[in-house]
Amino acid sequence: MKTYVVQRLLIALLTLLGMSMVIFVLLRLAPGDIVDILFSTAGYVSPSEKQAIMKELGMDRPYWVQYLDWLHQIVTGDLGKSYRYDQPAWQIIRPLVPVTLELAALSMIFAVLIGVPTGVVSAVRQDTTLDYALRVFSLAGLSMPAFWLGMVIILSLVSWFAWIPPLTYVSPMKDWKLHAIQFLLPALAVGYRSSALIMRITRSSLLEVMREDYIRTAWAKGQTGRIVIWRHALKNALLPVVTVIGIEFAFLIGGLVVTETVFNLPGVARFLVQAILWRDYPVVQNLVMFIAIVVILSNLLVDMLYGVLDPRVRYGG
Amino acid sequence: MAVRPAAIAVPAGARPRPGTGTVIARFVRKKPLGAAGGALMLVMLVTAVFAELLQTHDPIATDAAYTLGPPSLEHLLGTDHLGRDIYSRIVHGARISLVVGVASTLMGSVLGGIIGLLSGYVGGKTDLVTQRILDILQGLPLLVLALVMSAALGPSVQNVVIAISIPIIPRAARVIRSSVLSIREMQYIEAARALGARHPRIAFRHILPNTIGPFIVLCTAQLGSAILVEATLSYLGLGVPEPYPSWGRMLSVSAAEYAQKAPHLVLFPGIAISLAVFASNLLGDALRDTLDPRLRGS
Amino acid sequence: MSRLRISRSLIVLGVTLSALAFAGPAQSQTPKSGGTLNIMLREDLAQGFAIHESSTISTVFPSSPCFNNLVYFDPFKPVESTDTLIGDLAEKWSWQDNYRNLVFFLRKNVKWHDGKPFTSKDVKFTFDMLREGPDAPAKLRINPRKDWYANVEAVEAPDPYTVAFRLKRPQPSLLSLLATGYTPIYAAHIPPANYRTTCVGTGPYKVKEWRKGEYLDYVKNPDYFVKGRPYLDALHYVVIVERGTRTAALQAGQLDAAFPGETTKAAAEQLKKAVPQLVITPVGASVTDNIILNTKKPPFDNLKVRLAVSYAIDRRGLIQAVHQGAGVPGAAMAPRPYGVWGMAEKDLLTLPGYGKPAEMKDKARKLLAEAGITPQHPLRVEMVTRAIAVYVDMASFVINELKQVGIEATLKQIETAQWHAMATRGEYQIGANLTGLGVDDPDANLYENFACGSPRNYSAYCDEHVTKLIDQQSQELDPKKRLALVIAIQKKIEEDAARPLLDHRIDYFTVWPHVKNLIPHHNIFNFARMQEVWSDK
Repeated sequence: MKTYVVQRLLIALLTLLGMSMVIFVLLRLAPGDIVDILFSTAGYVSPSEKQAIMKELGMDRPYWVQYLDWLHQIVTGDLGKSYRYDQPAWQIIRPLVPVTLELAALSMIFAVLIGVPTGVVSAVRQDTTLDYALRVFSLAGLSMPAFWLGMVIILSLVSWFAWIPPLTYVSPMKDWKLHAIQFLLPALAVGYRSSALIMRITRSSLLEVMREDYIRTAWAKGQTGRIVIWRHALKNALLPVVTVIGIEFAFLIGGLVVTETVFNLPGVARFLVQAILWRDYPVVQNLVMFIAIVVILSNLLVDMLYGVLDPRVRYGG
Repeated sequence: MAVRPAAIAVPAGARPRPGTGTVIARFVRKKPLGAAGGALMLVMLVTAVFAELLQTHDPIATDAAYTLGPPSLEHLLGTDHLGRDIYSRIVHGARISLVVGVASTLMGSVLGGIIGLLSGYVGGKTDLVTQRILDILQGLPLLVLALVMSAALGPSVQNVVIAISIPIIPRAARVIRSSVLSIREMQYIEAARALGARHPRIAFRHILPNTIGPFIVLCTAQLGSAILVEATLSYLGLGVPEPYPSWGRMLSVSAAEYAQKAPHLVLFPGIAISLAVFASNLLGDALRDTLDPRLRGS
Repeated sequence: MSRLRISRSLIVLGVTLSALAFAGPAQSQTPKSGGTLNIMLREDLAQGFAIHESSTISTVFPSSPCFNNLVYFDPFKPVESTDTLIGDLAEKWSWQDNYRNLVFFLRKNVKWHDGKPFTSKDVKFTFDMLREGPDAPAKLRINPRKDWYANVEAVEAPDPYTVAFRLKRPQPSLLSLLATGYTPIYAAHIPPANYRTTCVGTGPYKVKEWRKGEYLDYVKNPDYFVKGRPYLDALHYVVIVERGTRTAALQAGQLDAAFPGETTKAAAEQLKKAVPQLVITPVGASVTDNIILNTKKPPFDNLKVRLAVSYAIDRRGLIQAVHQGAGVPGAAMAPRPYGVWGMAEKDLLTLPGYGKPAEMKDKARKLLAEAGITPQHPLRVEMVTRAIAVYVDMASFVINELKQVGIEATLKQIETAQWHAMATRGEYQIGANLTGLGVDDPDANLYENFACGSPRNYSAYCDEHVTKLIDQQSQELDPKKRLALVIAIQKKIEEDAARPLLDHRIDYFTVWPHVKNLIPHHNIFNFARMQEVWSDK
């Protein structure tokens, strides 16, 4: 097990290194940089002033030097200075992280709360109208654009109840009730979308387990056996679900970007979009690496969890 | 005439393949949901191709006298804040969504498929290295990567297609590779190899046709998310530029602002996107169930 | 008196009394102290509080409560002019030596937010830095308004409470330039770069916390030099990027005031319908829609083609189609009542694009035919604009208009990061542009946009005679003569059609009724100090 984990970590590290290169290059491919944007807020351009600012920001050095400098910064824990705000990037990002993590966690909880029960019901009542209805419901969540769902929610609340959820961030310290309401809707919206895959996996996995012979025989045998079989079937069926939760987490971040924008939550995802538009390289690079690390770690965690839960993997793999 | 190895690859006693009509009819009967999805996609395709015939107004013509008008006989789905006919814009938006969705899906899937095919077939170190490189691309969430690429390349239809296709490549490669890995060991492939068939021939003649099933499933699955990503990019302002009507862009800025006075601005483009993705998902699910029962559980 | 007469008098009395009861102006109520206001920001501060290094309302509006100017426009008067100037840090001022010397007598006992005393040294520091004088004490990283001080020979501070601006030639406008939101006084003991992250000013409010991308908090400055001000305890500026969310928050009362220039007429109607008690004031937004034409390259180096473009665009049609009527036609300066230098309606009618649309388009076609452009040989051009909805809508309308006279334009959207560089380098043919005017003053507007060699003269328009006229009006001391000159300049500019002006936008500034004394001006940059604002909650 240990060698497995170490191996995976090494691979993860290499992958991250590769990603850092990709991000670094991609960002600089984008036309225009922070200096151009600074000048655009000033309404004019001056080549001499531009030179001076680029020197000040260290942007006039050759690219490979800047890249190595960035790697060095990450390793020493210094996440660089935001080009836009002239302050350490970490200082600016730090208060945003809990908001996004909270939203992500709540969304996953809703996803599981919606996905697993509907998947179970759908499997048990396979091919009935209820099954079809649930599958359509689940698929609809996957098909709706996340930002549109958010818009429609707010619009419906305004039109039908003349009520708008708090649109400026309410800290849980100040008013936890309002804070809960504020996070409930976007978490539901994102959770609904993520529940689709979970529902599908739960359903198909349960179907597969239930199809096995010994299950069918025991089922036919009677009541008491059923409950035990039921529990056993469920436990086995839920194994793939754990994997999917890990995968979903990665997709989640995409939905978070627009949801945070529509519901005006001060999270990392919303900030990322702004930072990209402003070509704030240090912030974008570090945020994207942060997201990548979270995704890789969660995948690793899920893999290891799988290894713990399913002994076949541990020794086979 | 020499006996071609292809003739040997088909197992003896195979039944003649059924006609296309029968295949479709069987599909409709067994998978009504999937057939519905397919029909919906067909409607979208027809709309996209015949957009000029189906429109009631010029989609970019403004009409100052009739801004934010509700659905009426003249404007089937109402007008937006510049007086442009929403129905006609949605009809043309189908073209953009389909073109971008299909092009990026195909590009990404074909490129990824070839990489996956070669990587899976050749195996060994090449496979390992390729997989790690693909991991890098896949490690980033689709939208984030598309965002950065879109910003990097600038707003234009081609660039949006490229930006969306790149995250698809590793996903396609993965699917095709696993399919290749399972087929590679099959007996008739070994037989072909024993008969002296060359590697490229084996790869393309024997393995490839058997990956078509998973490939089609992959494409339809990715099409839905490609359409969604395009809509999201356009909504954020990084997607298809004016004057091409894009469903996603119709939902940005003005739609949300005037939503209370004119909810149809928000409803109809969103419904269009949802229907398109929904249809492709339905079709994809049904195709997967039919073509590749092994994948049903995945 | 007959009974009829008595009842009539009673009715008149009754009506007058009720009118007085309902029409009481805000000023007649006694202001209350205390409370917090939640104010909308459409985006985060662009360069922090460094107003001198930026030209955007996103910096000026949220930063103004921190600062003071030498002089300021009276917050109570929507129309700004030299008659509405009041002293801010200057108690008195006087022009000497036939408008060649401007002397300010500064207030005493004014403190910076860090406790240090304010003196004439701070004023000299600020303006020497701005005009990049030979012995400038500090340098700005970006200096967009350096040219405003081109005429300043020296800034002298003979004693701690007196400052004198010595000019090379008379310039009555200098006073107005010093009164805008763009001209706050920096502290001499603070490096200018610090203003990008935090603010040390003399203003009515002190910065409490700036949570990047989220909000900006101010608290009342207890040592403010105007006793009894400010009334409010705190200001809370909230960043909401998503447009629909912004409007919804304002409607729900989660925001008390809108962002200047951001409320369209349709949005205002929607808001009023949902919340009838909202106070909505249409004001000039000091933003113009205009077309920039590259006069250095074909085809727009040809005057006839340029004029055709100007004739083809129906100004009133644009205002209706793109702004739903929230705009007013005018030439380079804002027309009355929004400004005091604009051309009268009757004079506008003689200019291209203001007559009957069909006739104007005929004229355009004729002009194009003279230049060799016919339906058989149409003109194909690429129109650039910024990739922002408000630009794109305008550009789409213009393209539609041009199509009808035989100019086929395709739209190319340029990202913000590249727009100004591209425009300054002249790498375009025709563009749909928005221009913000910091103050309704010919010196601020005409030099920047129409003088030979000015970097923001994107059309590279250079007419020696016009430049001479601009210099002339800048020195003209007789107001009537000056107005006549400015009007003549505007007319000539439109007739040269290098930068056809399409309209002046109108903003429907919205506040909740408990917000008192936040009176919008016909210029978005100059009413953000929040000194007189109070809350009736």
